[in-house]
Amino acid sequence: MPFLHAHRLGKSFGEVRAVDGVSFEVQAGELYGLLGPNGAGKTTTISMIAGLLKPDAGEVTVDGTPFWSDPQRAKRIMGVVPQELALYEELTARENLEFWGRMAGLTPRDARQRAGELLAALSLTDRARDAVKTYSGGMKRRVNLGCALLHHPKLLLLDEPTVGIDPQARLNILEFIRGLRANGTAILYTTHYLEEAETLCQRIGIIDHGRLLAEGTLGELQERLGGDRLFVLEGDLSGAQPDAWPGFRERFRVIQQAEKQLVVAAVGQRDPSDCLKELLALPVRAENVTLKRPSLNDVFLQLTGRDLRE
Amino acid sequence: MRRILDIGHNDLRVFFKSKTAYVWLFIVPFAFVYFMGFASRGPGDPANPRPPLLVENLDTNFLGRIFLDELGAQGMAIVDPTNRAAAERGLRIPADFTQRVLNHQQSKVEFFETEGSGAGNAAMIELRVVRALIAINSHLIEVATQHGESGLTDEAAFRAVMHAPNPVNLNAHFAGRKPVPSGFNFSLPGNLVMYLMMNLLIFGGAALAGERRNGVLRRLAVHPVRRGELVMGKIYGLMLLGAVQIAFFLAVGKFVFGVNLGANLPAVTLTLLVFAWVAGSLGVLAGSVLKAEDRVVGVCVLASLAMAALGGCWWPLEIAPDALKVIAHCLPTGWALDALHQLISFGSGFGAVVKPLAVLLVFGGVANLLAARFFRV
Repeated sequence: MPFLHAHRLGKSFGEVRAVDGVSFEVQAGELYGLLGPNGAGKTTTISMIAGLLKPDAGEVTVDGTPFWSDPQRAKRIMGVVPQELALYEELTARENLEFWGRMAGLTPRDARQRAGELLAALSLTDRARDAVKTYSGGMKRRVNLGCALLHHPKLLLLDEPTVGIDPQARLNILEFIRGLRANGTAILYTTHYLEEAETLCQRIGIIDHGRLLAEGTLGELQERLGGDRLFVLEGDLSGAQPDAWPGFRERFRVIQQAEKQLVVAAVGQRDPSDCLKELLALPVRAENVTLKRPSLNDVFLQLTGRDLRE
Repeated sequence: MRRILDIGHNDLRVFFKSKTAYVWLFIVPFAFVYFMGFASRGPGDPANPRPPLLVENLDTNFLGRIFLDELGAQGMAIVDPTNRAAAERGLRIPADFTQRVLNHQQSKVEFFETEGSGAGNAAMIELRVVRALIAINSHLIEVATQHGESGLTDEAAFRAVMHAPNPVNLNAHFAGRKPVPSGFNFSLPGNLVMYLMMNLLIFGGAALAGERRNGVLRRLAVHPVRRGELVMGKIYGLMLLGAVQIAFFLAVGKFVFGVNLGANLPAVTLTLLVFAWVAGSLGVLAGSVLKAEDRVVGVCVLASLAMAALGGCWWPLEIAPDALKVIAHCLPTGWALDALHQLISFGSGFGAVVKPLAVLLVFGGVANLLAARFFRV
């Protein structure tokens, strides 16, 4: 039984359909990534799961119980890390952790003890007595994460927890999250960083314009492109017309076509060297042809026709 | 219940991390209480003024000394000739004053204006000199009645008559209307009510808007905290802030400005706590209805100043036109001051503030309900 089940969630704000029929499941000990550009509907989805928004349609089930049949129960077993730094910046890290621990239901003594453990785990013990407003962005992000972990949540919702911090700080946080997953926590992780989704998540859902376009492991999503490699032709491709090239559509699938670049995937299991020969024989002025492993961006590109980084 | 207390205690801790809080909770109100109290107390203490009178006592006999003591008993500060500049008027007692009085002869006591003195307290001094002279004559008659002619030369007999309780006392009160609160008796409750309303509205509203902006309220809402607990926790935090300010004001009023808080300190405290609940609820309401912090601050400053002025914090309602009194009693500030003046200035008991307290409770209940209705994360 999945620990979290989002079933055909829908939410509109006036005329805008922010989330439209989104369904997915997260198992205990699984890290599920919801990948999409800004405005795709990730935060709205996570807000419905956390109980901040009531869905217009669909249902959220946490640990086998519909969320809205007993919201307090669901909230007791989940931890939420919001995208914004929702902290009392005038207070110290320890004061913040202890307060949020008490809000999660811990006794003052347990909150104090657990705050000490988390400060150590997040490498913040040395600065525990300093006001959060004096911290670097990465340290604030760590406190922001820690505030959701006081009560050992079985389900953790992370809404873009690494936004706006340097690469090293991001790596530290990602490593910490991997440790949480290993402890059996079910984790829903939203991000618009491809690398995070690729390296961190066991399964990934790709969301855009409020709809879940595809989901699966990285390998399964790559498989949608027809294998584990893509061919990239670079040069003057402004006049290229793949439909006019005899037999091209039967052998290749176009992933992206631009003035100076054409990205294609081979159809079926074929020898890469044969594919390269066929591509070099095309009636275009290709200056460079390269082979690469398909990325999530390529999957997104194929699904939406645009680059996730745009 | 535990979460309400936790939220309130945490909010109080956050408030006191800000230096601005200390300025507006303690320093500015202290300055205003002092300034307004000083400005509204008049040229001297109206309850017991002691105008300075220069006395040149040339009489070495006992009636000169008796006369000096009687002048003091009539509320005169006696200044000796070495300190002439301090006196507002002068009195010269002739050398043969005792001798002439005992010989049933008139004695001329000279009342004169001292150099550089104005009209200020002249009439009051003259009145008190006349009262002292009448008193001396009364003492003469009483001693002669009790001891006969021979008793008139006995200073001890005179002093015994002087210190005996008066057979008739006049107990004077203001007729028809109450006296006007003045000095620190006015400025302390006025400023306390004004700054409670101002601080709880502004700090409460702005803090709530700020927590909504940075996501703290949403974070609270994803915890197992009920909406009612959240609203009550926020109001409780503001009431704690109010309680700190109330304790500070009352301590400063009593020990620094010497305000007599009356015999009903528990009733004063209860009134102020109920008022803090009203103001805290209005603060949460303002922070719920208004979105941006700067807008909250702007609206709350205007609202609290208007309520302070119209409610009688800046001038006593006792001297205000009737229309202003009606307006004041449409506002919680007016009712709070009504109760405080009854307790502090007029010495009334708890019974006199039951009605103001009931009205404040209605204000608080309505504000609390509206705050809960419009509260949003």
